[in-house]
Amino acid sequence: MLRLPAVRRALAGVSQSTKGCVRTTTTAASNLIEIFVDGQPVLVEPGTTVLQACEKVGMQIPRFCYHDRLSVAGNCRMCLVEIEKAPKPVAACAMPVMKGWNILTNSEKSRKAREGVMEFLLANHPLDCPICDQGGECDLQDQSMMFGSDRSRFMEGKRAVEDKNIGPLVKTIMTRCIQCTRCIRFASEIAGVDDLGTTGRGNEMQVGTYIEKMFMSELSGNIIDICPVGALTSKPYAFTSRPWETRKTESVDVLDAVGSNIVVSTRTGEVMRILPRLHEDINEEWIADKTRFAYDGLKRQRLIEPMVRNEEGLFVYASWEDALTHVAGVLQGVQGNDVGAIAGGLVDAEALVALKDMMNRLDSDTLCTEEVFPTAGAVTDLRSNYLLNTKIAGVEEADVLLLIGTNPRFEEPLFNTRIRKSWLHNELQVSLVGSEVDLTYTYDHLGDSPQILQDIATGKHPFSKILNEAKKPMVVVGSAALQRGDGAAIHAAVSTIAHNARTKSGVGADWKVMNILHRFASQVAALDLGYKPGVEAIRKNPPKVLYLLGADAGCITRQDLPKNCFIIYQGHHGDLGAPMADIILPGAAYTEKPATYVNTEGRSQQTRVAVSPPGMAREDWRIIRAISELAGVTLPYETLDQVRSRLEEVSPNLVRYDDVEEANYFSQANELFKLVKQQLLADPLVSPQLTIKDYYMTDPISRASQKMAKCVKAVTEGAKAIEEPTFC
Amino acid sequence: MLVGAALRVARAGLRVTGCRAVLLPARFEGSSTTETQPTVRPKDEVTQKHLCAFGEYVAEILPKYVHQVQVTCFNELEILIHPDGIIPVLTFLRDHTTAQFKSLVDLTAVDVPTRQNRFEIVYNLLSLRFNSRIRVKTYTDELTPIDSLVPVHKAANWYEREVWDMFGVFFANHPDMRRILTDYGFEGHPFRKDFPLSGYVEVRYDDEVKRVVAEPIELAQEFRKFDLNSPWETFPAYRSAPETLKIEAGEKKEDAK
Amino acid sequence: MAASGVGKVVGTTVKPIFSRDLSEAKRRVRELYRAWYREVPHTVQSFQLDITVKQGRDKVREIFMKNTHVTDPRVIDMLVIKGKMELQETIHVWKQRTHIMRFFNETETPRPKDFLSKFYAGHDP
Repeated sequence: MLRLPAVRRALAGVSQSTKGCVRTTTTAASNLIEIFVDGQPVLVEPGTTVLQACEKVGMQIPRFCYHDRLSVAGNCRMCLVEIEKAPKPVAACAMPVMKGWNILTNSEKSRKAREGVMEFLLANHPLDCPICDQGGECDLQDQSMMFGSDRSRFMEGKRAVEDKNIGPLVKTIMTRCIQCTRCIRFASEIAGVDDLGTTGRGNEMQVGTYIEKMFMSELSGNIIDICPVGALTSKPYAFTSRPWETRKTESVDVLDAVGSNIVVSTRTGEVMRILPRLHEDINEEWIADKTRFAYDGLKRQRLIEPMVRNEEGLFVYASWEDALTHVAGVLQGVQGNDVGAIAGGLVDAEALVALKDMMNRLDSDTLCTEEVFPTAGAVTDLRSNYLLNTKIAGVEEADVLLLIGTNPRFEEPLFNTRIRKSWLHNELQVSLVGSEVDLTYTYDHLGDSPQILQDIATGKHPFSKILNEAKKPMVVVGSAALQRGDGAAIHAAVSTIAHNARTKSGVGADWKVMNILHRFASQVAALDLGYKPGVEAIRKNPPKVLYLLGADAGCITRQDLPKNCFIIYQGHHGDLGAPMADIILPGAAYTEKPATYVNTEGRSQQTRVAVSPPGMAREDWRIIRAISELAGVTLPYETLDQVRSRLEEVSPNLVRYDDVEEANYFSQANELFKLVKQQLLADPLVSPQLTIKDYYMTDPISRASQKMAKCVKAVTEGAKAIEEPTFC
Repeated sequence: MLVGAALRVARAGLRVTGCRAVLLPARFEGSSTTETQPTVRPKDEVTQKHLCAFGEYVAEILPKYVHQVQVTCFNELEILIHPDGIIPVLTFLRDHTTAQFKSLVDLTAVDVPTRQNRFEIVYNLLSLRFNSRIRVKTYTDELTPIDSLVPVHKAANWYEREVWDMFGVFFANHPDMRRILTDYGFEGHPFRKDFPLSGYVEVRYDDEVKRVVAEPIELAQEFRKFDLNSPWETFPAYRSAPETLKIEAGEKKEDAK
Repeated sequence: MAASGVGKVVGTTVKPIFSRDLSEAKRRVRELYRAWYREVPHTVQSFQLDITVKQGRDKVREIFMKNTHVTDPRVIDMLVIKGKMELQETIHVWKQRTHIMRFFNETETPRPKDFLSKFYAGHDP
């Protein structure tokens, strides 16, 4: 490999500091040095590379191997530029600027150097652009258009490389590889899976896994995006469409609770693929594999028409008019606590508020979320008790991190990426209470007994000393840990730990220590809107009519309810909730509706319509609004804007898009926790997703996805178990 | 293959921008032989001078109507005139001994909605006598009628009907001002920029009433959005700006006031 | 709007299409209306339309009344020009039955107005 570890570290540090979110190396203004880009003066920090300096004045240097978020390799040579009075062109990505340099980005020498490099790169690159999936978004294609020569003098034979099978998601056509090593650096630096590397040298150099094995990472899809050529492409997307044919809709992912920003590419009313969108505070430019590849679940198992259960217990299709009249009739017959509702993990805030308003109008307040969260001591009244208060980007500032009962790698892969980034560049010290799992970075395993929390809280445990001495400590508890029988006690213990760390370590008032890591996109919005977490209320006091809004976790079954209970299911997938219902109302999935979701930080974001809902499915809040009208309790909104102004009435932060409302009152919250009189159980803290095979299928959409099923099969039985159609 | 083809396109593009000498030095040969460019019209100094002189001459003779004279693309003479001057200027160009633009080759309009006078009316003339072409441009808006050119050039008849049909510019004193291309009963002027690509109505055969009926168009979500970004436009900094017209057409409006 | 755009060279007034003032424009509209009114029976007969003369005249009136809010003589003139064009097409039987009957929009289903009927009708009410 052509890597220079020492240089890499140093340069990586520099590249980060210019971004400004981490490691603010406060350089005095006097330290800036003046250089010139094509004669234009610019002041930069010492240590800035030529490429970054050019970027600063808006001059983009062509490159293949250089990537902002990866270490510098300097092996593609495409970024050669001429420096005035220098004898040879220099590689802009690896060369730090010197005072007074004049960088000539478009001089004859620079152009000639680029053209020469391009010629060499193309010498071994196959001319299969017409059948290459990268066509139209290929760096090599674009840059050869812009900087290459327009004729070839290469008469020799081209090299060919055997393709590797690295799993069911990433397709490799290694002949196209130009050995930029971006994928290798991504795997070892960001994903933390040191599977990829190079073998051979010179013309024989190959990128691969050396022995045939899967690239087993929850972030594997990102190597498709960073590959500048078509060597790594998406298997599900192979040969389906071209980038210029698709429409791009900027949206938000809801399959986990970080709310990654995505671009949904669609063609003729079908989602073709999902790509990441840049958001420095959430997902940077990566997305997890479930986000990227579970979209085929949006086309399968869908509910497309309202269905009513007939006398024989079979579902028959019905028109909206009949189905809604039926529902309204049932709802009119009940009042008060005879009617209850459960909201699932993928429900948007608009539907939640509409359902809540309708239920309240029916005099009922039995509104639950499937996801359990401790409520003892009125903790859900304070937002700080259920948010990731330090925010995802805050991990980069922290120096000590305590993870409790969570496996962030598979619960929230992008949060884990941040932890790894901070661990790698900031020497973040990570400790874990819970099951011992592979987090891609080293951590201190304190054990898995909840008693340890108690010890840390009371200061008996040696770790409490570390926590108290930390400059910016962070405590992250997984939502799964709070769902045990002693959830409230754990919550209280965590709060005490955080409170102690906050007071004793003497961090500023603006640094929040306590963090909850959620797993479901709807949870924070539901808690903001005043839903009761957990279905305990329903189980204790079974209603006559139960409204399931996308409730697919199967936490309540027919057996928990009286025989004559009428169940209405509204959702987009025929998963666990629909079969037990008496009437099914088809709703829209997240790519099909403009909807508000609040991520685990408390950041509200909106999805946008990429495709129309299939069949007769409708946006969820509209269904509820229509029922309310027929049931005689008409809700006072008819348009999306009106629903959103209702959301603003209830909780203004829900419509302040991409803005995180700071949650406070930590000490008050801690006081409230003292009311909790619950004993910790002895059972070990086990996170629900231990290995990568638990990662892929966690919600109705990914459970319906064939691709995700293939991934599970591949990680359990090996990549060979997957039969792929052999094309090309 | 695609790379190669793309390169050729890129190269051609660079040439058009006129920066060839800077961007593509002769590489392999090491010599500086200039290649001929069959697709690009060569710049001809003599013709250009000639046209400039004639343009100035016209502007001198008809100062009342001519706002501006310009030579674009090296050999295309354009005269920008006030709308009142259509008949006199084109009569002059037809009848003057040194002009003899007796043939009206084309008459068309251009819609630029941002301008106050949104329509530009363009007359392309040919002088067979002198093997020369000239373009006369004037302007109007939706409600100001333009003098019909039919008394000067008979050929203008159908062209003006077309402009009326497609843009809704009314030509005063036209002998036969009616639609030429659109269907009877069609509403709107399709070449206006604010006319939707899909039109306003869709027609279908209705079996009940036994005739073709027109109904307001309903579009599915898919066809309502237009993504105009090109995936090919990378590295904007290295792209030279497109050739700009020497005279912004908007300026002549200022003169007119 | 157009007043400032047109020539300093010749004059500063707006160039009329035909009518110099509103009364003249109104006269033209009345003339056109009269012509249409007289033409309706012939139209019904020559196109063999399934409507009565009364219905036809009502439709003519309705279409004229649609533009009662227009007061700019130039706009009125433009509408009159287009109306005359239509009349000419009708008189000469250049139009066909379908073109005449398009004025009556009989196959159009009315767009849903309230929330529920919009909900039943489609995705994007």
